[in-house]
Amino acid sequence: MKKFILNLRLFWEGALLSYIALFHWLRPAQYLATMIWGPLASMLFFVFLGTYATGSDSASFYVIGNALQTIALSGIFGVTMSIGGDRWSGTLPYLFGAPANRFMMFTGRALMHLLNGVLGAIIGLTWGVLLFGLDLGRANPLALTLIILVATFSTSGMGLLMGCLSLITRNVMFVNNTVFFLLLVFSGANIELSRMPAWGQAISQVLPLTRSIASARRVIAGGSLSSVVPLLLVEFMIGMSYLLAGYLLFRWFEFQAKRRDTLEAM
Amino acid sequence: MKAIEVRNLRRVFRATIGVVRRKIKEIVAVDDISFEVYDGELFGLLGPNGAGKTTTVKMLTTMLIPTSGEARVLGLDVVRSAEALRSRIGFVFGGERGLYWRLSGYDNLRYFASLYHVDPAVSRKRIPYLLDLVGLSDRGQEKVEGYSRGMKQRLHIARTLLHDPQVLFLDEPTIGLDPVGARELRQVVRNLQAEKKTILLTTHYMFEADALCQRIAVIDKGRIIALDTPEGLKTYVKDLAVIEFEVYGVPSNVLEQLRAQPYVHTVSVENRDQKQALLIHSPRGSQAVPDLLSMMNGIRIGNVIVREPTLEDAYVRLVGGEA
Ligand SMILES: Nc1ncnc2c1ncn2[C@@H]1O[C@H](COP(=O)(O)OP(=O)(O)OP(=O)(O)O)[C@@H](O)[C@H]1O
Ligand SMILES: [Mg+2]
Repeated sequence: MKKFILNLRLFWEGALLSYIALFHWLRPAQYLATMIWGPLASMLFFVFLGTYATGSDSASFYVIGNALQTIALSGIFGVTMSIGGDRWSGTLPYLFGAPANRFMMFTGRALMHLLNGVLGAIIGLTWGVLLFGLDLGRANPLALTLIILVATFSTSGMGLLMGCLSLITRNVMFVNNTVFFLLLVFSGANIELSRMPAWGQAISQVLPLTRSIASARRVIAGGSLSSVVPLLLVEFMIGMSYLLAGYLLFRWFEFQAKRRDTLEAM
Repeated sequence: MKAIEVRNLRRVFRATIGVVRRKIKEIVAVDDISFEVYDGELFGLLGPNGAGKTTTVKMLTTMLIPTSGEARVLGLDVVRSAEALRSRIGFVFGGERGLYWRLSGYDNLRYFASLYHVDPAVSRKRIPYLLDLVGLSDRGQEKVEGYSRGMKQRLHIARTLLHDPQVLFLDEPTIGLDPVGARELRQVVRNLQAEKKTILLTTHYMFEADALCQRIAVIDKGRIIALDTPEGLKTYVKDLAVIEFEVYGVPSNVLEQLRAQPYVHTVSVENRDQKQALLIHSPRGSQAVPDLLSMMNGIRIGNVIVREPTLEDAYVRLVGGEA
């Protein structure tokens, strides 16, 4: 029991640490600006581009897609930076030299970015309502909340895996940008799945976000909670798989580092 | 009780060299070393660059798997009982990295305390105490990026004491510090010894080892070439005198010739500003000076001093006059 509480504390402190570090890097004003104007900028871009290409009645398609896509920003970039940052700060030997539970140490870094993602999605949807006439009147609030939570969970799971890759490949930004654009293209945020080639659809099936974006569209159009639960369950499992893959990779990294002395290799 | 026991420890690294025709080269970083450190002892591992000090410390702190041999710390095998060992040892790898620069010193300590499962009630008292111990109490709330190098290195010491480990490994704790910073840090290390910690310290400064350590192992090219108290090490050179010639460049053929003399033990050259000091260890002392001078015909020579050997000279003799 005591062990459990201490582990929870580690999880929490790790969460706090990565968030404080973020705040020290972005000033609070800057941070708010990124959170508020960032989603708007990408939303404007895709909504105008999309409605121009396909006819103006489809704005809500892009608004919903891009509101959820904002989650990927904190889920993937935030979490990756938080884990990859340890290579940069040279703290890896001290992390791996500690007796701490590796799972808690690893996943704790994602918590705040999860909350950040939720906030991002809410801000994105708010812009949609304010500027693009998005109508949330028929949406089941519980279902919408659940969708946002599942989407942040699954992207953060992916972020943990990417963060771990960044410990190994040393090329954080390249890996991250690739994944972010994969999501942008294949998650269905901006292109209808049915208009993608078969291989594109195959990719979209294993990405986080695909199912939560579809669910959000359905729920906002008036669909019931029960109609999206199966989709959300699968997306949750996908997030879990990424998280576990990330964790296993993290352990593998530690194991290799101890055999080959690669912990501090830059 | 022995806090650290090392038996025939070896570590070989494989490095691939060449881009086109890749070859695997084996580097023996630590070559069959054995030693013991007693409870409460401050033990020095002294050696030049690349001697294998850091590799040894990594193996003893569970960060690196030995190629062969074994090591126990507090009776725990560093490979098989790594998990259990981690909460009972602390370590610092020299230099200023390894801290979260965007966090305050205090927040750094808080995070590391949770990594070591230190009870929050305990760490709330312990963190201010440790900040005080390393002379950072009034700067603890500031971000680490604003700290001087010496402050960061002292914060590292505080970090490694959070969980009150019994054995500490300090790998070149004074690296890169100016003389004042280094002296402050050495004082911190002395305070630790007063707290009954067992400490293994590595350094490449003989005087530092002399000032701090009860016993010193001199390591070179992965092997321990001497292990003794500072006084014991001095007896390695007690039969010798050191003859110092102030010179302005010496041709290598002259050095060869000097080295070839049966009464000359080591010849080394130290740079001192514009000049150099040519140091010769010889049992003949001042009697050797005329002969030596005749061999240095045509070389510009300033002062000549004959003196008793110091510990530094013992070290120079041990590692072969390259220091
Ligand atoms: N990961 C590695 N891969 C290949 N060779 C290595 C590796 N780490 C160390 N070595 C080699 O092993 C030898 C011992 O290195 P080590 O870092 O232990 O020396 P050191 O005594 O700590 O030196 P310094 O005073 O420079 O810190 C050196 O020749 C070094 O090049
Ligand atoms: Mg070293």
